[in-house]
Amino acid sequence: MRKRMWFPVFLAIALAFLLTGTAAQAEKIIKVGIVDTYTGPPSTYTNDVRDAFKLATDKINAKGGILGKKIEFVTRDDKFKVDIGLSAAKELIMRENVDILMGTINSGLTLAISDLCEKEKIPFLVTFAKSEKITGEKGNRYVFSMNENTAMAGKAGAAGLAKKPYKKYWIAGDDYEYGHAIADSVWNHLKTLKPDVVLLGQSWWKVGEPDFTPYITAMLSAKPDAVIIATGGAGCVPFLKASVATGFNKSVPFYMHTATEMSTLAPLGLTAPEGVLGTSNYFYYFPDTPENKAFVKEFKDAYGRFPKVGALYGYITANFIAKAYEKAGEINTEKFINALEGMSIGSPIGELTVRAFDHQVMFPMFMGTTKKVEGYDYLIATDIVTIPGKDVMPSIEEIKKARGVK
Amino acid sequence: MDFASNITISALFQQALVGLSRTTILFIVASGLSLILGVLRIPNVAHGSLYMIGAFIMYSVNHFFGGGQAGFWMAVLLSPVAVALISLAVERGLFQYLYEREHLMLLLFTFSITLVFGDLVKMVWGSDYRCVDLPAAFQGFFTILGFPFPRYNLFLIIIGPVVAFGLWFLTNKTRIGKIARAAAVDREMVGAIGINVSLVFAAVFVIGCFLAGLGGALVAPTQNIRQGMDHAIIIEAFLIVIMGGLGNIWGALLGALIFGLTDSIGILVWPQFAIVFPYVVVVIALLFCPKGLLKSTW
Amino acid sequence: MVKESILSERSAWKALAPWLAVFVLLLLAPRFLPRFQVYLTGLILTTGLLAVSLNLVLGLGGMYQFHHAVFYGIGAYTVALVITKTALSPWIGFLLAPVVSALFSLAIGLICVRLSKLYFGMLQISLGSLVWAVVFRWYSFTGGDDGIHGISVPGIISSTDGAYYFSLILTAICLIVMQRIVNSPFGRSFQAVRDNPVRSEAVGINVKRVQLTGMVISGAFAGIAGSMFVVIEGSVFPELMFWTLSLEIIIMCLLGGWFTFLGPMLGAAIIVLLRTVVGIYTEYWTIVLGLVLMLLILFLPQGVLGYFLESYKRGGGKAVQEER
Repeated sequence: MRKRMWFPVFLAIALAFLLTGTAAQAEKIIKVGIVDTYTGPPSTYTNDVRDAFKLATDKINAKGGILGKKIEFVTRDDKFKVDIGLSAAKELIMRENVDILMGTINSGLTLAISDLCEKEKIPFLVTFAKSEKITGEKGNRYVFSMNENTAMAGKAGAAGLAKKPYKKYWIAGDDYEYGHAIADSVWNHLKTLKPDVVLLGQSWWKVGEPDFTPYITAMLSAKPDAVIIATGGAGCVPFLKASVATGFNKSVPFYMHTATEMSTLAPLGLTAPEGVLGTSNYFYYFPDTPENKAFVKEFKDAYGRFPKVGALYGYITANFIAKAYEKAGEINTEKFINALEGMSIGSPIGELTVRAFDHQVMFPMFMGTTKKVEGYDYLIATDIVTIPGKDVMPSIEEIKKARGVK
Repeated sequence: MDFASNITISALFQQALVGLSRTTILFIVASGLSLILGVLRIPNVAHGSLYMIGAFIMYSVNHFFGGGQAGFWMAVLLSPVAVALISLAVERGLFQYLYEREHLMLLLFTFSITLVFGDLVKMVWGSDYRCVDLPAAFQGFFTILGFPFPRYNLFLIIIGPVVAFGLWFLTNKTRIGKIARAAAVDREMVGAIGINVSLVFAAVFVIGCFLAGLGGALVAPTQNIRQGMDHAIIIEAFLIVIMGGLGNIWGALLGALIFGLTDSIGILVWPQFAIVFPYVVVVIALLFCPKGLLKSTW
Repeated sequence: MVKESILSERSAWKALAPWLAVFVLLLLAPRFLPRFQVYLTGLILTTGLLAVSLNLVLGLGGMYQFHHAVFYGIGAYTVALVITKTALSPWIGFLLAPVVSALFSLAIGLICVRLSKLYFGMLQISLGSLVWAVVFRWYSFTGGDDGIHGISVPGIISSTDGAYYFSLILTAICLIVMQRIVNSPFGRSFQAVRDNPVRSEAVGINVKRVQLTGMVISGAFAGIAGSMFVVIEGSVFPELMFWTLSLEIIIMCLLGGWFTFLGPMLGAAIIVLLRTVVGIYTEYWTIVLGLVLMLLILFLPQGVLGYFLESYKRGGGKAVQEER
């Protein structure tokens, strides 16, 4: 008899969970829900978003919170899976009654949550998903992008490449939306800036491809002047590795969007290739301003490591939330959105503005080349050129065209 | 797209060489899986996790010894041993009670082990990417027919046949190998003549997992070591084992060869469709040989 | 004679009554459950239906259907594409979903059915992965890896409650039909094929045809589950047909009890609930899930419902017999 008991017990627990919701404490706090990938390769980026967000909210709460209310946040791990993330987002909205949703690094999931948030009328601040559709074609009133996107990265990359003498290009990248979007963006802008470039060919590898040697040798046999590598996340490190092992970095120059980021360069140590062209939103050593130094110190004191680009996204998101609610004057979603549209705040990399039309934060892009520098255990970006936010943003006409509005 | 415009004999040769080095890793991992499948009849999904753990331990040991020649060789030797010890614990602690269960149940059980190992790896090594630097002797490349060929890949190509020979020797020439092969066919009979089948099974399981760890250790210097490595390799390993013939070591070698070569040559010939090549190859192979290319033990 | 028929009718009612009660309870659920729990129940029903449909071939037919998620995904994509790409009524999409899934099932089945056990399973994974790769890459048609989001289903089923009722009623109908199939002559010959294919062949059952029919039926129900997913989530994405999901469904079947009809439903409920509840407290929920699964396999090899039914037979079964 006792043996059979646990089954009803399990049912009872499940039912108890089904029947309970969380008590609404909405009066005292502002609740932010974060859905993001904390398992698997992307977590090297997302942990920084969460940690810096916590850093900023702790500071805001220490000063008495926003409009007398403290900011609290809860996180859910989506395992980089759309179904799990979507379920978690619904749980946060319906059961935790969050005021704002944040996340995620998975573009497909972000688009799904963005649509959900439009229906549920919950602001969704995107931190890290880079699809240009989020604030472009599929943009809506409730979604904001707190990071750069593929259109911006491509435009920045094209601006940098147009200044170089290369004519014959090869494009290679991750065979999914991010890779194709970034490659298309770079190529289209490059063609406009420099009409005589030719594309010799393309290679696309599956996401998470472990070994790039066969692709590199295939590219070498086409003898391009330069290569555009459209690989993101986990692909960057092994690609740089393979490029050193085959001497590819010495024979063909290449551009790779996130090549100069710390997540990519730090694991490689001093074996990373020099002279790789890359773009990023943030370096802890650049810009060399008091604001950035203060932020880096704060972050390093709290977590014992240097902030990566995700930290910037998390940090500014918290500050945008605080300032927007203060401007709105009350905890009201519609007023919050109205306040956030067109809002500017100071940040470690200077003033940042949310473009009112498409809710995209206008990030400047830093283009640099990898180099060994005395005093660092790994390569860093040097000769950094800042491309201002307004120059990399897609024009409002382009957004309108993508959305099909006149 | 201009189809196959840049294919030359030397480029083909080059891709074949690169494919061979990939074959080595695939073979080492798949042969371990095949051994366990053939003798113990366990579809060991956790094999991929052990491969991942092997790579992470490779990183840690190499780091501990400060890299270089010493660090590299210590790591290549120690990490498969460590993986073997982990698997020994798992086998003695859990699996030995489960041999009589339905295959699907064993599949489910090994899958739950991957869940546990996946999170354990996250707890121990964190979420940052890890890299293993090669010792100076393996850095750089040879130029073969005008194309660069990484030295380490050449090392891998040499390792492949060595492991294959070792396995052949083990299964055909040693007592334990012979008993294991007999047990694969009829475990009751082997038990009846007074051999402790359970211990033989444990040994085979550990050897198979040792190979997973070896594969992980050898692959570590060529890529970034990260969570999720297990998923990528396990499906390929299973496809290779099935294509080659369950439990047949030479089948695993043949399967890995076909897999590695079609993959690398496919990339040169038709890069846009590289993503589907492995699956197409398996479909074709199984359509013509429904029981795998070589004789299976099942 | 008369007496007997009344008796059997009464006992049929007795058997049916608890299920009716459960159904009525579920019908009333949105009245007393908060919104999230209603959504979650709908999701459990959908996943459960998918698992039960897999169990038709896995448990009843003993076939290693390793890539069942493909048919689920195809059903979901059929509805999504009819709604977003054509001017047809969305309801036509719901009708088409099982048909298209069944057709794919037939095509894949025709190729696979010559093989058995692990070979069958791995060939199916390869073929299914080809379908997945096409969906993953065909940006202009399927939305590629981003998938299709914001699918507007008809107004009556677009709210949380509406979606819930849609999934509840469809699940109930499907379960009744599947129960009938299991107990039909076909179901019995399918079972005979599982238990002894050689003997079945000898007594004149066309083994391959029975297996193929089983796959097609199971695929059609998976397609219905897929269409329910679209209603509940409003999104489709290629992960719906990735092999990892297929593995999860198999686990639901084994966990719940693959020799019972409703066991997979229970397995699905356990997995979805564990994932949601543990996920609230820790990001390390997979380790918890893994440990729970390991314990269940070690101690309940016949699955949760299988165990429950067995101990019911041992304990309560006597009482039933005495009553008769």
